[in-house]
Amino acid sequence: MYKNEFKIIFDYAKDKTDDIEILLSAGNSFSIRINEQNIESFSYADSKGLSVRVIKDGKTGYAYTEKFDEEAFKLIVDEALENAKYTEDDEVAIMENHPDIDVELKMYDEKLNEVDVKDKISFAKDLEKYAKAADKRVFNVPYAVYGDSTGYVKIANSKGLDKEEKQNSAFSYVGALTQLDDDKRMGVEFNVGRDFSKFDAKKMAEKSVEKSAALLGGEEVTSGSYPVVFNNEMMATMLSTFSGVFSAKAVQEGRSMLVGKMGQMVANEKVSILDDALHPKGISSRRFDSEGYSSQSTVLIENGKLKSFLHNTQTALKDGVKSTGNGSRSYKGSLNIATSNFILKPGTHKESELLAAKDKVIEIVALQGMHSGANPISGDFSLSGEGFLYENGERKHSLKQFTVSGNFLQMLNDVEMIADNFKFNMSSYGAASVLIKELAISG
Amino acid sequence: MLDKKLVEKVIDKALSNGADFAEIFVEDTYNSRIQFNDGKTKQNVIGKDYGAGVRVFYGETAIYAYTNDLSEKSLLSAAEAVSKAAKGNNIIKPIDLTKMEFENIHPISIPNNTVAKSDKIDFMRKVNAASRNYNDNISQVDINFTERIQKVMIANSEGLWAEDSRNYTRVGVTSIASSGNEKQSAGVGPGGHIGYEFINSLNPVELGEQTAKIAAIMLKADYAPSGKFPVVIDNGFGGVIFHEACGHSLETTAIAKGASVFCGKMDQQIANPVVTALDDGTLPNAWGSENIDDEGMPTQKTILIQDGILKSYMVDKMGSIKTGYARTGSGRRQSYKFAPASRMRNTYIANGTNKLEDIISSVDYGIYAKKMGGGSVMPGTGNFNFAVSEGYIIRNGKIAEPVRGATLIGNGADALMKISMIGNNLEQAQGMCGSVSGSIPTNVGQPAIKIDEILVGGRK
Repeated sequence: MYKNEFKIIFDYAKDKTDDIEILLSAGNSFSIRINEQNIESFSYADSKGLSVRVIKDGKTGYAYTEKFDEEAFKLIVDEALENAKYTEDDEVAIMENHPDIDVELKMYDEKLNEVDVKDKISFAKDLEKYAKAADKRVFNVPYAVYGDSTGYVKIANSKGLDKEEKQNSAFSYVGALTQLDDDKRMGVEFNVGRDFSKFDAKKMAEKSVEKSAALLGGEEVTSGSYPVVFNNEMMATMLSTFSGVFSAKAVQEGRSMLVGKMGQMVANEKVSILDDALHPKGISSRRFDSEGYSSQSTVLIENGKLKSFLHNTQTALKDGVKSTGNGSRSYKGSLNIATSNFILKPGTHKESELLAAKDKVIEIVALQGMHSGANPISGDFSLSGEGFLYENGERKHSLKQFTVSGNFLQMLNDVEMIADNFKFNMSSYGAASVLIKELAISG
Repeated sequence: MLDKKLVEKVIDKALSNGADFAEIFVEDTYNSRIQFNDGKTKQNVIGKDYGAGVRVFYGETAIYAYTNDLSEKSLLSAAEAVSKAAKGNNIIKPIDLTKMEFENIHPISIPNNTVAKSDKIDFMRKVNAASRNYNDNISQVDINFTERIQKVMIANSEGLWAEDSRNYTRVGVTSIASSGNEKQSAGVGPGGHIGYEFINSLNPVELGEQTAKIAAIMLKADYAPSGKFPVVIDNGFGGVIFHEACGHSLETTAIAKGASVFCGKMDQQIANPVVTALDDGTLPNAWGSENIDDEGMPTQKTILIQDGILKSYMVDKMGSIKTGYARTGSGRRQSYKFAPASRMRNTYIANGTNKLEDIISSVDYGIYAKKMGGGSVMPGTGNFNFAVSEGYIIRNGKIAEPVRGATLIGNGADALMKISMIGNNLEQAQGMCGSVSGSIPTNVGQPAIKIDEILVGGRK
């Protein structure tokens, strides 16, 4: 696809640039949101964008366009060259024809594209209907959402690289609000996947209500240090908040708490973290990254020891290592580093064992304030949490909104047990429930 | 931007299955971003966003489709897709589009594209040098210079044809102070609906030193205490508390769903009588200002709360249909990729009468939040949290030692009643607000305010 568009650009850039890479992404998407059994919003999208990264005299420049015609294509080559003139970055990525890998990845299922819109609408309506029916304390279902999308990406460069890939996926989430006296709580349940028949509205709706209602009638927590269990979803949230510290770019620029720690113990020996772009169940799996570099599974922390950062070809060159295939850029942006499927390896314990491991344990099942109360550079966090107090393994009661504070690295060192209930969240971060020795809780 | 005949054809097509209303939004946007860090110009990206969105209403259902292929075939196919998503029984006759005239209240004197890139880079170099020279602990300075010229055309089945061009200029500075394993960062991001004259009005040395100073102070600071305290939140970005805790709950997006604590509270007391708050799109050249909203309605100055009494919500077209309240020119969207929704513009608490010193001296023990960081709110419950980026202990009515890592946690409705004193030093600050219709420029603002009691999450 898009052979002609790429040829126009390559031909025009041939004598002007030393090297050029073209990245195109295109796709379509659908989403629907239900409120009071009416369609609150309904949208279709059909979009594409194309960008060039040029290298001239050792300098890199970028430009992009969403307008697809010959004039626009030529203009972005000239604009990217003009941009390159002003770039002072001395660490230039070298464009290569990165070899392909021989793996079978099922990232696209034609059957998803054949699902009738009527079935998607009734699915989203069912989310709300079942949530309202599940418990009389449900007073509102502000989120009953379904969406799906198909994406296509093509990358080619002047060294002969030419790769393309297509993927699709569907997502859904339902959020239910329950109320008891003045106490209002929200519970959210989500699902992502490629098989629409596995989207179960009743199950999702009931789960969201169960999550919400369980928190009602909370008591205030006495401030102090407590052993804390992050359930699997919240541990994944913590990973997503702090995953940026593994970016080699952040490390090289001195903005990661892992600077100078390569090869050292940075976490408890129970902790192993990896980024796996080839994970069979990961929704972010892909054959190659945004530079066309082949995907792999990269161990970042192995039994507590820091083994690798996440690299693109530019940061890898600087560190004298190989790229880990984590080069990332949208057509609107410049080359960066991003996670694919980011995983904290599960343990062997049952979650109930974690909750019973101490006299008192606070289980955290919801967190807020990730983008304001967490400092990804220092690792410090102070977040708003919701959850339960356990005594000797028994759930005593839910808690009123509290704050949980600590430091991410300290927390990884204080991991005492990891459960076996591994789960991916909607953004491809996966974890099981984890028991932390202690964290500051205030209410 | 598009031929009038074609636009009329698209609207007719969108109405063809009996819809109540049809609208087309066309955008052609120039974006430029220069990133300066590590003491160097690292990345420059220039690009063009280009596309159109077609929206129809069937009763209280909004249907939206967008494409970046603006050929007749593609636009008519988008119009057909939205028309077929539901069925109505309206017959709206073909309309004649009439161009809307309005005064440009945000004039640009120096268009950004007339300024050499090297001048922009020189400015960033000065900021960088000032920040690094301020203190030995400054280990990294990130500077972003962004320009956006968004040309829009909005036409609808009521005969509206409106065109506008919006010119945004902003510079962001973040300084990181390090010592051993400790790292603290501080940032500012002044900007406006304005041209390069805005950059000329800034002092690069002050800009660089300002963030360096805060990062250096916070590096040496001890952790904040935990517990319930009185908190004094100073002016400018402190207004993020009102934005997050109350502003979002006054948007009809939340009101129409019943997912707001302020539903059914019109003309009732929702805040302490000292509180008056506005959402104003008319402030000349302000970051969140517009001439017309993204539904083609002239922007306005909306009084949200007068002396503690709720006076208005922020209302877009669909919000007006659902709630019955008149539109307030609040329909906004990031780009053609989003259907518009009721959103904030420049939202602020009006000046009171107290001096900052008098507010501070009224507190025996509490927190002085000089600069706020970001925050978020849980819709429906109104529970919010946000970070204090520069904080101090108040002891015996005086500002004492700095503290870091404090998070303010509370409930919007509750906090509004607990605002007991308001200063006279109103200031606006710029931010990007993310919500259902994407990420849009908004100002937050307030004079210094005192909240009698709020939960502070710290580590001590």
